[in-house]
Amino acid sequence: MKNLQNMKIKIFYYIAIFLIYSFSFSQNETYISGSLESNSQLLQDDNGLNFFSPEDNFRSNNYFQLDFQNGNFSAGIQYESYLPSALLGYSEIFNNESGIAQYYFKYEDLKNEIKVGSIYEQFGNGLIFRAWEDRQLGINNSIKGINYKFFPTSNLEISAIHGKQRNGFEYSNSTITGLNSDFDISSILKFEKIGLSFGASYINRYQENNDVVNAPENVNLIGSRLNLYLDKIYINLEIAKKGKDVLVNEEQIVSAKRYDGTAMQIDFGYSRKGLGINSSFRRLENFNFYSDRLSEGNIYNQQTISFTPALTKQQDYMLTNIYVYNSQPRLVINDIEKRVGEVGIQNDIFYSFNKESFLGKYKTKLAVNFSYWSSIEANFNPDQSYDVEFIGNGKRLYKDLNFEIKNRWNKKVSSTLTFVDLSIDKGVTLGGPLGVQGDVDARIGVFELNFLNKNNRNNRIVAQHLWTNDDKKEWVGLVYEYALSNKLNVFVSDIWNYGNENDLHYYNIGGSYSNGPSRISLNYGRQRGGLICVGGVCRFVPESNGFNLNLSYSF
Amino acid sequence: MKRFILFFLLSFSINSFSQKQIPSIDLYDFQREKINTSDLLNNENITILSLWATWCVPCIKELDAINEVYEFWKEDIDFNLIAVSVDDSRSHRRAQALVNGKGWPYKILLDVNQDFKRALGTSFIPQTLIIKNGKILYQHTGYQPGDENYLYEKLTEYEN
Repeated sequence: MKNLQNMKIKIFYYIAIFLIYSFSFSQNETYISGSLESNSQLLQDDNGLNFFSPEDNFRSNNYFQLDFQNGNFSAGIQYESYLPSALLGYSEIFNNESGIAQYYFKYEDLKNEIKVGSIYEQFGNGLIFRAWEDRQLGINNSIKGINYKFFPTSNLEISAIHGKQRNGFEYSNSTITGLNSDFDISSILKFEKIGLSFGASYINRYQENNDVVNAPENVNLIGSRLNLYLDKIYINLEIAKKGKDVLVNEEQIVSAKRYDGTAMQIDFGYSRKGLGINSSFRRLENFNFYSDRLSEGNIYNQQTISFTPALTKQQDYMLTNIYVYNSQPRLVINDIEKRVGEVGIQNDIFYSFNKESFLGKYKTKLAVNFSYWSSIEANFNPDQSYDVEFIGNGKRLYKDLNFEIKNRWNKKVSSTLTFVDLSIDKGVTLGGPLGVQGDVDARIGVFELNFLNKNNRNNRIVAQHLWTNDDKKEWVGLVYEYALSNKLNVFVSDIWNYGNENDLHYYNIGGSYSNGPSRISLNYGRQRGGLICVGGVCRFVPESNGFNLNLSYSF
Repeated sequence: MKRFILFFLLSFSINSFSQKQIPSIDLYDFQREKINTSDLLNNENITILSLWATWCVPCIKELDAINEVYEFWKEDIDFNLIAVSVDDSRSHRRAQALVNGKGWPYKILLDVNQDFKRALGTSFIPQTLIIKNGKILYQHTGYQPGDENYLYEKLTEYEN
């Protein structure tokens, strides 16, 4: 541990020397930028929620980022602290930790880019590899190592990455190596109205098998993709394969066999001015991949290599966010449940009515979305192998239909009406085995009204209701938000779960002040427990009560 | 920790000589053409740059509201509007359908792994910037209906 500390300090000196050197001798101007983000909470007991605040009831996540750029060189660091503990619901590996979590140096010219240190990168759409940061989700799975990108011509890009994945303030015990190439075919063939590109990628995980008898030391993933644009139409195809690996559920190897996995995604789109359509089909069979084989399926999304988010519409209102789909790419074989993955579709239509028409006069904009996701049908054999259909007739996990109608009635008044009809498997939304507990069927209506008062200050009112006979029954919600100026706004909100005997209110009051690069927000109230999803990746947050303070500043 | 503080102070002392410059990052358009932010923004044109996402309600409200007055603004001021979507690969395909469905006349760029957002130090979206000669002249986080009028005032202020 001490050695590690010493090494960090040494690295630090090297960075400092490098920077001072580059500042003093370079002909170029040095640009410095950075940011600070601080998210804190002060928790308190709440008998109504049955919430007893932990002993360390003040919790705080802090991030300070500093970047330097001078000509072709750049460098940066990120300091993070989670003192005395990380916010409630974050992985415990962050608790009571602080320090320089990341640093990097980068050189780039027209044909090359070399980066060492902490690297964020994704290959294609991230199906086999995505390293990124999401502070709201507590994810930072950057790779510490080296990344080399080569651009031999303007239509070809080749990149290689090699290193270890970050896991909290430590590193995963495997080595990740990846190769990626993207090739723009249309520019070579001199197509004018057609865009055609091709990409291929490869990922290897090397992890010693130590005591794990059956585990392969090397697991390989390959993926390829084709993107085609024809004026108003586009088609994207992406396929990937994961090599044979041991099957791990809840940190235990559960089968003597090894299993491979596959992924496939097809997107089709059509658009012209005033109309946009997108349809996606995706099939994931045993397709999740982690830098540590034993971390499969961990609830905090730590050490993920593959990126397979739910493709359903990301919801924005408090009550539409209660029953959200989370993707189910896992292979699970145990006494309670057996499943191999998910397959489904997601469709979006966006339409603006012509300005001359009656509805167009009120700037009517329509968005419709529907999706359907189910388990892939498979039959399991006594020897723990399985026979699988391409789609088959697996158990439905989720379906939804969303309508959203936006109007601008005049210069001061606008409104949005949203309606959602959904069915979700109880295992997906509440936990436990999938496909055996039945569904939650719910309908949600939301009406949002915005109007400017005499002083041109905005009033925002959101009224919402959720109907269901399942789970916690009916909810009603109300938000009122007022802009005191273009910098300062305040809100009160309550969602009331009146349909069941607990009869709970989740009230909140707060405000935010935003001025140039700085923003501060404070709120007090009850947090509803459940999944918090950002970009289709979800994290479970427990119910709580208290104050939340967020600060951010960039320079 | 002492060293960190020292380093921190050093960085601020240098900062006093530096100017707020737009970071140089490669973004992509819907046709997967690569576009570098420095190449795009290092010119004398005044540009509104908005960081948005398909799942961000206030972002879409802001871009819808500007769309309503876009023609009028254009008559008065020569400016560009670039809307950078930070949608990841889950939702960036919806972005194209949404942009066309709404009939937005803006240049749309994609920042699918949030490199640009990170380089700007943006924690919350919408983040709206006014840029000229590659320098950030004004920025604002969040959107309330009516804010577009304030943005217009700023735009006229920085036009010359």
